[in-house]
Amino acid sequence: MTQQTQMETINLSTDVLVVGAGMTGVKAAAEIAASGYRVVLIDEGTGLGKEAGSSVADLDGEELATLDALVESVNGSEMIEVMTGTRIDGAAGVPGDFRVWLSGNDDIVEKSIGAIVVASELVACPLNEAYGLNLSDTVITQSQMEAALCENPAAFAGKSVAFMLGLAQDGNPLVLERVLKSVLAMENMDDASAYVFAGDLKVAEDGLERLYLECRDKGAMTVKLTEMPAIMQEDGTLSITYDDPVLQRKVELSPDIIVVEEAIGADQVNAALADMLKIDMGSMGFLQTENVHRYPVSTNREGIFVVGGSRRVKKRYGALMDAENAAIKVRNLLGDGTITIPANKAVLDIGKCTFCLTCYRCCPHGAIYWSADNKPVISKVACQGCGICASECPMDAIQIGDFNDADMIDQVTRSSTAKADGAPTIVAFCCQNSGLEAARMAELFGMPLPKGLKTVAVPCAGKVDIDYVMHALAEGADGVVIMACHNGNCKSEKGSLYASWRAANAQGMLEAIGIEKDRICFATTASNMGADFSGILMSMEETLTGK
Amino acid sequence: MIVAERKPFEEVRAMVKDFKKVLTVGCGTCVAVCLAGGEKEVGVLNSELKIARRMEGSPIQTGGVTVERQCDMEFLEELDGIVDEYDAIISMACGAGIQFIAERFPDIPVFPGVDTSFIGVNREVGWYEEKCRACGTCVLGMTAGICPVTMCAKGLFNGPCGGTNKGSCEINSDQPCAWHRIHERLAKQNRLQNILDICPPNDWRNQTPRTIVQPGYKDRLAAFGIK
Repeated sequence: MTQQTQMETINLSTDVLVVGAGMTGVKAAAEIAASGYRVVLIDEGTGLGKEAGSSVADLDGEELATLDALVESVNGSEMIEVMTGTRIDGAAGVPGDFRVWLSGNDDIVEKSIGAIVVASELVACPLNEAYGLNLSDTVITQSQMEAALCENPAAFAGKSVAFMLGLAQDGNPLVLERVLKSVLAMENMDDASAYVFAGDLKVAEDGLERLYLECRDKGAMTVKLTEMPAIMQEDGTLSITYDDPVLQRKVELSPDIIVVEEAIGADQVNAALADMLKIDMGSMGFLQTENVHRYPVSTNREGIFVVGGSRRVKKRYGALMDAENAAIKVRNLLGDGTITIPANKAVLDIGKCTFCLTCYRCCPHGAIYWSADNKPVISKVACQGCGICASECPMDAIQIGDFNDADMIDQVTRSSTAKADGAPTIVAFCCQNSGLEAARMAELFGMPLPKGLKTVAVPCAGKVDIDYVMHALAEGADGVVIMACHNGNCKSEKGSLYASWRAANAQGMLEAIGIEKDRICFATTASNMGADFSGILMSMEETLTGK
Repeated sequence: MIVAERKPFEEVRAMVKDFKKVLTVGCGTCVAVCLAGGEKEVGVLNSELKIARRMEGSPIQTGGVTVERQCDMEFLEELDGIVDEYDAIISMACGAGIQFIAERFPDIPVFPGVDTSFIGVNREVGWYEEKCRACGTCVLGMTAGICPVTMCAKGLFNGPCGGTNKGSCEINSDQPCAWHRIHERLAKQNRLQNILDICPPNDWRNQTPRTIVQPGYKDRLAAFGIK
């Protein structure tokens, strides 16, 4: 752009809310406070660092010491306000200017918050039923085993313990690590013996393979099974009958204790939090979609971060790393309490706006809200400039920075009317995150490209207005290609989707007019797929040449 | 809000086939909100026409203007200097707006770009449901806020009829029985007496073009001699 973009400075609230005071939340609070921001750390439970009854206790000696030190530093910090027995009741606003309502035992307090970090912990769910077992003195869960080993390891002297895992669910390194730590503790005792019956052993975590070997060297017996063994639980007597893969015959084992694995998953509170904070739910109840642009700790909304067990199943060090990353993200956003942003990022013409709510409903970043006098407002801090709102607006009342409608239509007209030696004119709308880079790569590497190709950059495929597509064809383009990001790789989550829907809609229009719908092509690509870009465009040229 | 649907393209194409210069006029209120006839849809329809007519070898020139509301004369003023340049007008407003344009520019053929469908609500982006038939005698106070004129296949004021079938209407199991729902909601509000009370019939003779002057404005009309 030739014109210097006007910048605007916005003041931000710099207090940070951390939801959940398990070890990850405590770590996040400490890290953020160390960056100089005041933190409100809330937890529904009674104390810091304590996980609820069903949470995964995957801490051993060293980590427990770290947790104690963390809790101490948080308790001693003037920057951190700890509110236990407190939950978040509501949230509104935008990054740098959130309002949250926190309810404790007696009352509800409203706080002005700049950023929010969600740190719910992983939850363990015993799988004894899948093994046909009832929990008892001799059939216990992994969590109970860990607690018992912690409390009175001597009780296991002379006992044989069978661990069941990977038969009721797909294995997981975190599940395996907990089992192996308990197995090792058993093997380190005199006379105690440990058996591991496993459907699989997932060792893809630091040190797990070594831990497994150490267990085996110390005498633990591991049996890999392909199907559930017959387990009897009668009058306190236990027996496991299985097809031994080495001996090639049935073997019966009568352990003193059976330890059943636990599924490790997301806290149920996540769904309510997602709803309240307007963030996308991922799979399995976690708070992050499988989108590379969200990693490590981002959500679809600026200023709301998810760490540790709130976003994935990962060992403790991963959660603590998340906490550090969240602190960096918070620092990048809140800075010194001001942020400088292009003034024209997304500009709403209130005079043209017909208050239809389409923008508000379509924005994937929760960046549009209503002011007290019932006017829609686009938060410049929250807005990511994808342009989905602008392209959905029935009144063209929203203009996106360097991609305003007048300039875009002008460029589309020029591109569509240009002719090259009788070659078909192809207008390719290219997302600047993928298609545009792929086009540059194809050009730089000298890959074949259509003679009549005209690329039009868009900030996201979500900015490809159906009006642009139809206008291009009306002005003389022979074909239109939309090059978007792969599904799940769109920075704005739904930009590619919106573009694909519009392309299908426009194709329907062409059919109604009576011309071939393949004059419009929607394709997904990535920035490093120059050959792919070349292939798609050359095939489009071939299609159009044949007409 | 009044909800409309874009007319099938073939119909629009046929209506303007003899015209070379067409002005498409959008409406910035109801039909814009229901994504059928705002500025965006004006641009798209014009492009469709251009593509189709170029293909036919009979190019068309199009213009596009979207006014605030076609049902207010003042907002049509901005078209005054423009329409003379065109052979025909496509109005993308509801039937009311289309007629108001046709009335203001009686020498130029005016064609509908949309089918006006109903008075309804917005469930989600692009998803609308009919709620009101503008019958002129609102009984929603009796019927727990559920309109039997719209929802009941027979438009009964005193239902349900014998065709109510486990919550569905006899015409179609996907169609809920309006009176079943009315009964449920009244029961929840302890107002079941409403079902027993006889609701007097609507005066369906009101189905001639109606005019309303709001009470506070009768004097105003008289004072200015407006008829």
